[in-house]
Amino acid sequence: MIVGQRHKEMIKAGLLILLGLVIVSPLVLMLVSSLKDDMYRIMEDMGSIKAFMVGDPSMNNYREILSSDSVQNFKRFFMNSIIILAGTVTGTVIISSMAGYTLHRGTLKIHKILLPLIISLYIIPMESIMLPLMYQVMKWGISDTYAVQILPFIASPIYIFLFYQFFRQVPVSLSEAAMIEGASFWRIYWNIFFPINRSAVVTVAILQGMDAWNQYLWPLLVTQTERVRPMSVALASFSGTGVIYWDRLMAASVVMLLPVLVFFLFFQKFFIQSVASTAVKG
Amino acid sequence: MSKNRQLSVRSAGSKSDGLLTGHDRLQELMMIFPALMLLFLFLMLPFLMSIELSFTNQRLVQGPVATKFIGLRNYVRILSDHDFWQALWNVVRFSLMVIPLQCGFALVMANFLNKLCVMKGFLRSLFFLPFITPMVIVTVIWQTIYQYPNGIMNSILEAVSFGTLGPVEWLGSELWAMPAIVLLSAWQAYGFQMIIYLGGLQNIPNEIYEAADIDGANGWAQFRFITWPSLLNTNVLILIITTIQALKLFTQVNILTKGGPNGTTNTLVHYIYESGFVGQKIGYSAASSLLLFLLILGIFLVQRLSLSRLENN
Repeated sequence: MIVGQRHKEMIKAGLLILLGLVIVSPLVLMLVSSLKDDMYRIMEDMGSIKAFMVGDPSMNNYREILSSDSVQNFKRFFMNSIIILAGTVTGTVIISSMAGYTLHRGTLKIHKILLPLIISLYIIPMESIMLPLMYQVMKWGISDTYAVQILPFIASPIYIFLFYQFFRQVPVSLSEAAMIEGASFWRIYWNIFFPINRSAVVTVAILQGMDAWNQYLWPLLVTQTERVRPMSVALASFSGTGVIYWDRLMAASVVMLLPVLVFFLFFQKFFIQSVASTAVKG
Repeated sequence: MSKNRQLSVRSAGSKSDGLLTGHDRLQELMMIFPALMLLFLFLMLPFLMSIELSFTNQRLVQGPVATKFIGLRNYVRILSDHDFWQALWNVVRFSLMVIPLQCGFALVMANFLNKLCVMKGFLRSLFFLPFITPMVIVTVIWQTIYQYPNGIMNSILEAVSFGTLGPVEWLGSELWAMPAIVLLSAWQAYGFQMIIYLGGLQNIPNEIYEAADIDGANGWAQFRFITWPSLLNTNVLILIITTIQALKLFTQVNILTKGGPNGTTNTLVHYIYESGFVGQKIGYSAASSLLLFLLILGIFLVQRLSLSRLENN
């Protein structure tokens, strides 16, 4: 009986692996195509099983897009994406957690109004204010900068609330000793609350990091030059209509996916936990 | 007890050392100020401005025509614009197709994975991979899959129809462009719903299934009478999140079809983008942005109502 059960489990797992391979086959297609040097061969192979096979893998496409004299300045776009990601994540973790802490521990009367106000701002979706915001940042003269791609996202109602809820679960006894010693409001935050708030930081960093890396509409609106343009917008502009250089495009796609993939492989559990925690968002 | 002690420490501090409290207050203000400032500048201000702009004929770059108050004319023009209604209908159509496909597949996968004892973690991560793939990359890959006439999708069509059905221009056909967008969107995003469903399934106590096993209930009966009713809250939550996501459809459409052919894949966000960014009519686009906001607000309120109903029952 038990042996039969095990057998059934293995067969089920085997079938699921097969299904999983079908599901991830588009990603395999991308990886294999990026190793083909000739874009015409990619196009020829596209419709058959050959799309998933490469006899003579070559790194030429990668060399080409990462070399400094490439027509399409991928290294620049990649660095831009990294800068925007780092700025957004660091900014959110610092500014939203400080706000969440103050809303929880603060003694000023105004916090009683601020908390519901900030939560209610959550119902304004970014998509519905993007065009007016674009007009505004153009008037302020800050469009086409890194700042304009970072600042609108780092004070986020949802993450302020997430930190607020997290801090609420911290036992009072932890901060008592510090209070008796007369530590200031900031000290208690910096020495006690911020360090033990690691799991909230990880959650926010993963979710915000993914958002920042994938951001498309906003940078499309506010980046006029290649100087600060992120990977997503650059890739999209080489895709779509007109002649598509599949070889380089596929390599660039792999390069854009790679950091996310590596991060995911190392922190799978945190990734999935963070995504699951967005269920309480609503 | 500990709360009382905390209170006494606080009040003792404030009585004996007024300076420290004043200092604390200043720190409090300084710690919340950056967030408030940013929320005001990048969320509240543009929102309030969009209300004002929606009643004007403001253009992105000031032309020869002076900006003036034009009352409700933007709204009247939007509501009598065939393209707007088509875009609205398209996102509804998209939602009606993508929600059952994406959530249904996610639910099936979650059920398979939940009861698995071997390689559970590995398989969960494998099925989660599309979700971590940026949408821009997804569109690049699926563009080759939908390629006319020699993409994989056409090869599959040809194989299953024994060559009777010819190659279809998936993204260039008025009939097939939207279903094509639906399929790639569901592929990219189902991992999210799968994870939420897995969480929901883990909350169902195992004893109920064991009791059903003893009663001789088969797999389908167990799903129908135990799993499905227990997932009610999860389903409502997923439905709302997925609907709001679907209404914001933009990236895939912008890259693959630009809303075409003939407006059959145009969406509300794309409509706002076209009028404001391409057409440079900021006033007009602000008005359509507010209509999108009202739509999403409506769904949000329906969610609140239905959730509080569920809790009362």
